[in-house]
Amino acid sequence: MPCWICSQMMKSYIWLQTADGSIQQVEQEVAMFCPMICHEVIQKGMGSSKNYAISLPQRVNPAMLSLILDYCRFHQVPGRSNKERKSFDEKFIRMDTKRLCELTSAADSLQLKPLVDLTSRALARIIEGKSPEEIREIFHLPDDLTEEEKLEPLKNTTDDPRIRLLNRLYAKKRKELKERQKLKNIEVEEERVDDRSVDDLLSFINGDNGDSKGIKNSKSKKKNRRRKDQQKNASANEAIKNHNKEPNGLNQVCHSAEVGQKVRPGVGATSNLHDVEDDIFDNKNELDDVDIDDEIDPALKEKIDSILYSFYAMLEEVCIYSPNDLSFYLLFREVEDFARRLNSDWPERMQEILSFGHERKPVHFSLNGNGSLRRYASMLLSFFYY
Amino acid sequence: MDDVMSRDLISDLPQSIIESILTRLPIRDAVRTSILSSKWRYKWATLTQLVFDEKCVILSNDRCKVEDGLVNFITRTLFLHQGPIHKFQLTTTHLQCCPDIDQWLLFLSRNDIKELVLELGEGEWFRVPSCLFNCKKLTRLDLFRCEFDPPPTFKGFLCLKSLNLHQVLVSPEAIESLISGCPLLESLALSYFDSLALTIRAPNLKFLCLEGEFKDICLENTPLLVAMSVAMYMTDDIAEHFEQSSTCNFNRFLGGVPRLERLIGHIYFTKFLSIGDDLGRLPITYAHLKLVELNQVSFEDMKEILVVLRLITNSPNLRELQISGSSNTLAAIDAPDLDFWEDECPSNCTFKQLRVVRMTDMSGVPHEMEFIKFLLANSPALETMSISPCVYVMDGRLNMLIELLRFRRASAQAEILFIQD
Repeated sequence: MPCWICSQMMKSYIWLQTADGSIQQVEQEVAMFCPMICHEVIQKGMGSSKNYAISLPQRVNPAMLSLILDYCRFHQVPGRSNKERKSFDEKFIRMDTKRLCELTSAADSLQLKPLVDLTSRALARIIEGKSPEEIREIFHLPDDLTEEEKLEPLKNTTDDPRIRLLNRLYAKKRKELKERQKLKNIEVEEERVDDRSVDDLLSFINGDNGDSKGIKNSKSKKKNRRRKDQQKNASANEAIKNHNKEPNGLNQVCHSAEVGQKVRPGVGATSNLHDVEDDIFDNKNELDDVDIDDEIDPALKEKIDSILYSFYAMLEEVCIYSPNDLSFYLLFREVEDFARRLNSDWPERMQEILSFGHERKPVHFSLNGNGSLRRYASMLLSFFYY
Repeated sequence: MDDVMSRDLISDLPQSIIESILTRLPIRDAVRTSILSSKWRYKWATLTQLVFDEKCVILSNDRCKVEDGLVNFITRTLFLHQGPIHKFQLTTTHLQCCPDIDQWLLFLSRNDIKELVLELGEGEWFRVPSCLFNCKKLTRLDLFRCEFDPPPTFKGFLCLKSLNLHQVLVSPEAIESLISGCPLLESLALSYFDSLALTIRAPNLKFLCLEGEFKDICLENTPLLVAMSVAMYMTDDIAEHFEQSSTCNFNRFLGGVPRLERLIGHIYFTKFLSIGDDLGRLPITYAHLKLVELNQVSFEDMKEILVVLRLITNSPNLRELQISGSSNTLAAIDAPDLDFWEDECPSNCTFKQLRVVRMTDMSGVPHEMEFIKFLLANSPALETMSISPCVYVMDGRLNMLIELLRFRRASAQAEILFIQD
């Protein structure tokens, strides 16, 4: 030890400077309990006076320094029993989470391992047993993972090509959704074509008169226009029909309306059928999700959207970008599987989509899948939480 | 909007601290942090310590389900993990002999495993695969209920510091050569072996824990031994073997441990030490021995009493002594040879540092009382002497107390505590 330390007869102090510029003096034995300060004193001879105050790392603000020094002041006394020390530690550690994190950081920068261990243990106790939402709340963490990413642990181990495709499409559609949102904010209200009321749509879904007729009509229209896709549609529809387990799936699921069913003929307005269809087929505008969205919980809506968009994307990709039989068939398997996972709420919907899918128009629809969608989402998530 | 309040508190802490926190969580909670936020996705994946037990899965009565669940969880976790794994611990009563364990060990052997703890269930014992013997960096190995069969080319774990084999099927030669082949070995624990005859050569050994039926133990080269705890069970074969033996066990076991600080013996340990010829005064002094605990000492056997005496009279710095008796009042038919105490005890023996003595399971037989008398008379620094009578002795307690009152005490501040149940 340098002799200028040994020769001090009176109580000696070490000078410390925090990042904000303030300088204070601390009893030597207390300060030297921190390895970083000890190093500065012994190796570099710093801290002996105000001018040569040891500059502490930025993470150590005056409040944290005060806490750390309290800790050091207690523990540097050699005579204490283990019980005393533990008891002190337990009381010491009682502080709000924010301070606890700051303290961990500060102690780490001073290389004070016992205190880092103590705070780490306290933080671990806070995290243990809590749900992700609770943890995010406590530590102010952003919930910025997509559904796909949250399921990723499954992805790696289930080498399922269907899930891979789904995830890829999720990611892509999510990006597109964000872009559309931007556009939506700029575009004007008159974009809205479909302002059917909620009730109208509801009754439409629940199988009112206009329904089946409308579908049939649109289909026949389709046949006239797209002959080449006939075969595919037919086979596709059959495939779907075979898996159509619950004919009432739609009713069960959606007790709120769907919006944006541009391709669906208007309800109770068969006379307008032709007009409406023409509107749609004229490829007028890109339509966004509107009105009914207000009824749906935004978080859930986002989940639904992402799943739906990927759905759409699958169709789009196959029908538009690679309209050959093989990929269409593959897509079909995907879609079937998807339908099955959603407890077959989709078959009828898919039927329509596929009839009109190759229409060069984004078909936007929201479905409030309170029942099955949530079930599906929770099923996937529970996989991980199990 | 209050930016300060909503600022992320924790994600930007150094990875070493994050790992310090995640290591203190059960593995399930640690892996679940991957869905907290984008920054947290892979924070858990570089943890170097993985500890698995049945809390990783939801318990149910369906044993198969729990087993499958546990196997799946571990496999998935290992698969998603990145980087070296220094510690792998698996404690389970459900898994025994499972092919997945072999695969995990192979994976670990390629990932710099240093500490391996496998505590498996009852049933068919898991046979340790050969890849384990390729783990060059192993510093700690704990195996419970396994079969351990090193290949002939195996020389030892050069970095191994701690070895714990509990209910492990392994040949005595293999254990001996394993111990000798681990030059850095500091801590050795062997439990539940049958009729094991063992010679321990471990120049760096500090802690020794033995439990089981040992036919013979010899500490040939353990100069640095600091603490030992031995529980020896006896079968008739072993007892016979002992009868015929003439080598001094005391010397073979305690002859080469000058640095010993703590000695704990159970069941037949004292008997084991008493076998063989008595060498009289011991050549070595246990200058560091501070704690001696000998259980089930039979005070009718003069040789066992001699063992205790030899031990404590050669330990000038002994601070704490605990003796439990296993005397049978009915068996003490012969008149006790009380001259023994005059003849054998060194007259100038003083236990200068002895502070605490605990005598438990005392039956009040003459030699027990003489021993207590001897201690009280020669311990000037004694603070507490506590005596607990054996539960079967009800009538003799009063006599014990009467005798105790008469004993002279070298220490003025000694308290005698008679502890009734």
